[in-house]
Amino acid sequence: MPGMRIIKRQEPLGWRSCLVLLVAIGFSLALGGGLLLVRGVDPVAAMGTLFVGAFGSRYGIEDSALKAIPIFLCSLGVALAFRLRVWNIGAEGQYALGAIGASWLPVAMPDLPAYLLLPSMITMAVVAGGMWGAIPAFFRQKMRTNEIIVTLMMNYIAISLLDYMVYGPWKDPASYGFPMTATFPPAAVVGKIGTTAYSWGLVHAFVLAVLIWVFTTYTRLGYEIKVGGANVRAARYAGIPYDRLVIGVMFLSGALAGWAGFLEASSTLNRLQPSIMANYGYTAIVVAWLARLNPFYIAVASFLLAGLRVGVESLQLDMQVPAAFGLIIEGLVLLSVLAGGFFTTYRVTRR
Amino acid sequence: MSNLWLIHSEAESMDGAPIIRLEGISKSFAELKANGDISLSLHQGRVLALLGENGAGKSTLMSILAGQLQPDEGVIYLHEKPLNISSTDKAIEAGIGMVYQHFTLVAAMSVAENIFLGHRAPLFHRRRTLEKRVRELAEAYAMDINPAARIADLSMGEKQQVEILKLLSRDADVLIFDEPTAVLTPLEVEGLFTTIGMLKKAGKAIVFISHKLDEVMAIADDIAVLRRGRIVDVRPALQVSSTAELASLMVGREVLLTVERQPMPTRQLLLRASGLSADVARNVDLQVRQGEIVAIVGVAGNGQKPLIEAICGLRRPDSGDLELFGKPWREFFSRYCQDNILSYISEDRQGLASCQELDLLDNFLLTTRFDFCSGPFLLKQRARRTISGLLEEFGVTPPDPQAQAWQLSGGNLQKMVLSREFYRKPLLIVAEQPTQGLDIGAIEEVWKLLLMAREQAGILLITSDLGEALSLADRVAVMYGGLVVDTFSRHDDYKVEQIPQMMAGLWPPKSDELTRMATA
Repeated sequence: MPGMRIIKRQEPLGWRSCLVLLVAIGFSLALGGGLLLVRGVDPVAAMGTLFVGAFGSRYGIEDSALKAIPIFLCSLGVALAFRLRVWNIGAEGQYALGAIGASWLPVAMPDLPAYLLLPSMITMAVVAGGMWGAIPAFFRQKMRTNEIIVTLMMNYIAISLLDYMVYGPWKDPASYGFPMTATFPPAAVVGKIGTTAYSWGLVHAFVLAVLIWVFTTYTRLGYEIKVGGANVRAARYAGIPYDRLVIGVMFLSGALAGWAGFLEASSTLNRLQPSIMANYGYTAIVVAWLARLNPFYIAVASFLLAGLRVGVESLQLDMQVPAAFGLIIEGLVLLSVLAGGFFTTYRVTRR
Repeated sequence: MSNLWLIHSEAESMDGAPIIRLEGISKSFAELKANGDISLSLHQGRVLALLGENGAGKSTLMSILAGQLQPDEGVIYLHEKPLNISSTDKAIEAGIGMVYQHFTLVAAMSVAENIFLGHRAPLFHRRRTLEKRVRELAEAYAMDINPAARIADLSMGEKQQVEILKLLSRDADVLIFDEPTAVLTPLEVEGLFTTIGMLKKAGKAIVFISHKLDEVMAIADDIAVLRRGRIVDVRPALQVSSTAELASLMVGREVLLTVERQPMPTRQLLLRASGLSADVARNVDLQVRQGEIVAIVGVAGNGQKPLIEAICGLRRPDSGDLELFGKPWREFFSRYCQDNILSYISEDRQGLASCQELDLLDNFLLTTRFDFCSGPFLLKQRARRTISGLLEEFGVTPPDPQAQAWQLSGGNLQKMVLSREFYRKPLLIVAEQPTQGLDIGAIEEVWKLLLMAREQAGILLITSDLGEALSLADRVAVMYGGLVVDTFSRHDDYKVEQIPQMMAGLWPPKSDELTRMATA
C-alpha cells in the first residue's frame, strides 16, 4: 500500500497476540452476521441463538464437550505434524481408519472380555490411523510427493473403505438394510464418567494432551521436531534423521486421529456407521491454527468450534438458517486468523 | 572529532562540499543502539573506508544510506539539501548504490539483461544496443566483461563487476562496497582496486567496508572507525602509520594478528580420502591427522563445497574411499550423533549452522543436544546456564539465550556457532571460512582457538584468505577445477609462493611445447 511500510517485529507480541486473535474472530463473526443480514435474518438475534444453543444450557455444554473430543484429538495430531512443517490434511482419513481398525474386534470377536477388547481396539485404531499417516510421509521423503495432495486424496480412499465395510462385510444382518455394524458389546464401549453425561473419552483426551505436551516441550525428540520444522538443512546438519522423524511424527499424528475414531465409534455411536464422518478432521486443521499449535489452546479452540456446530443446529431449528452456515463461519474464522497472524510477526507503520 | 575531520577534508579534497553528509544519525533496535549520533561526509573522488568490529554498526549505517532502514534521528544531506531516503528506489534516484556481499543477480540471464533489469525503460529494446552500452561503460572503467555472457558462467570477480556496472548504469555517484574482496582471488582484488581508482577519477564517492586492514591502507583516502555504534575516529589514511595502529583503533586495544604456532607431533589418522569424487570435486586424495591443520585454499566454487559436504556426511560420495576415524563413511555417519566427534563449522551460518526463527538456546542445542540429555528428556536449564557463560565468554551481543538467531549480526551469529562447536571438543574440525565477516579482534580469538584445538584434534581449514591459511596451516592443499592441484608443507617456500598461480589454474606451468601440442 502506498504510504505504508511493513516492518518485522523485533520482539514477540506477547499478550497482545490474544487481542489479534479476538479481533480476527470478531471480524469473521461480523462477516457471518453480514451474510445472515442478506438472508433477512437478524444477525444479533442469530448470534444470540448460536451462543445460547451451544453454551446456554447443560445439554448444550455436554453436547459441545462431546463433539470437542474428536476435534481435539485430531487437532492435537495435525498440530504435531504442522510443528514439523508437514502439512497433514489427512486427519479425516486417519480418523476413519482408526474407527475401522477399532471396529474390527467387536465385530469379529464380540465375546472378548473388556480388559482385552478395549486395549486391543485402541491398539488397532492407533496402528491403522498411524499407518494411514505414515504412508504419505514415506512417499514424501522417498519420492518427494506432496503430502498435502496425498493425505487429502487418502481421505477419500479411507471414507470409501469405511463405506465398503459397513455396506458390505460388516453390515449387521438385523439392521433392516441400514449401512451399519451391529451394536458393540458393552465390553467394547468406553462408558460415561459415573452418573454424568461426560464420556471417559474426555479423560483419554486430557491424558494424551499432557503426554504430547511433555513430549514436545521437554524431550529431545520434541526438540528435534522443532528444529526440523524451523530449518530442514540445519536439522540434517545437526545429524537429525529427518526422514525418519517425518515418518514417525506422521505416524503419531495419524495415531491420535485414529484414537479419536476409536472413541467416536466406541463411546458415542457404539457401532460403525457412515455418519461417523462429520468433518472433524477438517475442523481440526482450523483449530490447530487458531491455537497456534499449543495443546492447551487447542483444547479451548476445539470446545469453541464444537460449540459452533451445536449452536448452528439450534440456529437451524429456530431460524431456518442452513447448516452450511456453520462451515462458512468455520472457514471465515480460519481465514481471518491466518490473516491476523501477519500482524503478530509484522507491524505496519506510516512512511 | 568529526569537526576536525571536516577541516582536514576541506583542506585536501578538490571540491569542498561533500556529496553526502550524514548528521547525527541514530538507530536503535529495541534495546540495542546500533548507531548513535553519527556524522560523516562523503566527498567526490575520495574513498572512505569504514572500519569496525562485528556489530559496530557498519551494516546498519550503510543500510540507512541505501534506503533499507530509516534512522530514528538525524538527517542525510545530498549536496547540502536534506534528503529523505525512505526506500531503496529513493536511494538509487539520489545516486547512492550498494555492492552487496551477496550478489543480487539473475543467474540465467545475460550480463546486459541483468544490468538493465529494473530500469524504467521502453517495453521493447534491442539487445545489441544494450550490449553496446554495457561494453562502453565497462571499457570506461577498465573492466573486461562480455555483455552477452550468462551470469551463471561468470567468476565471482566478474559478477561483482556486473554489480558495479548495474549501479553505474543508474548514474550512481556514491558507491558503497560491503566487504568486496571477501570472495575474490588476489588477482581479482587487484582488478577491483584498479576499477575503484578509475571511479575515483571519474569523481565518484566511494565507501569501502572491509575487515582486511592492509586493503584499507592500500585503497582508502579517509578512514572512519566505528565502535559500538559510534564514530571514534575519522582521519586521512596518510595519517595512519600502520595496520597495527588501525587494528588498535578499531578494537580499542592492541592486536597483532600473529599467532605463535608451535610445531606439534601428528598422531592418529582421522580423515583419509583417496580417489574421492563428489559432484564437481574429483579424485581427491586428502589426509588429516590429529595435531595438524590442513588448509584447503582456492577460489570459492572449485569443488570445496561438495568435498566438505561429503566429509561432513551431508552428501553421499559418488566414488572413491572416504574413511573417518578409521571407519568407512557410511558406518561413521550411522553413529554420527552419538559419537559427536566431528564438528563442521559451516560457511553458511544462517542457512545451515543455525535456525533463524529459534532462540540461541535452541540453536546451541543443535549439535550439543546429546550432552544435555537424560533419558528421553532434554535438560534445558543446565543448557541455559552453559550457554549463558559461553555467550559472555565469546563476546556475543546480545548475550541473551532467548534472543532469536535472526536478530544477531552475521559476525555475532558466527561467534555463537563457534562457541557451540568448540564447546563440543570435537576430534575433527572442518572449519569453512571460519573468520569470514569477523572483525580483527575476533579473528585473533578464533585463530587462537583453532591452534589450541589442534593439540587434541585434527583440523581441516577451508579458506579463501591466503593469509589465514599461511598463518595457521601445517599443510596446504590447493583446489582448482574440482581437483586438488597440490598438497605441500607450509614450509615449502617455493610452492607457497606459487599458490596464486595454482589457485588460478596456471599450475603446473605448461611448457610451450605442450601448449602447442594441445592446440594442434
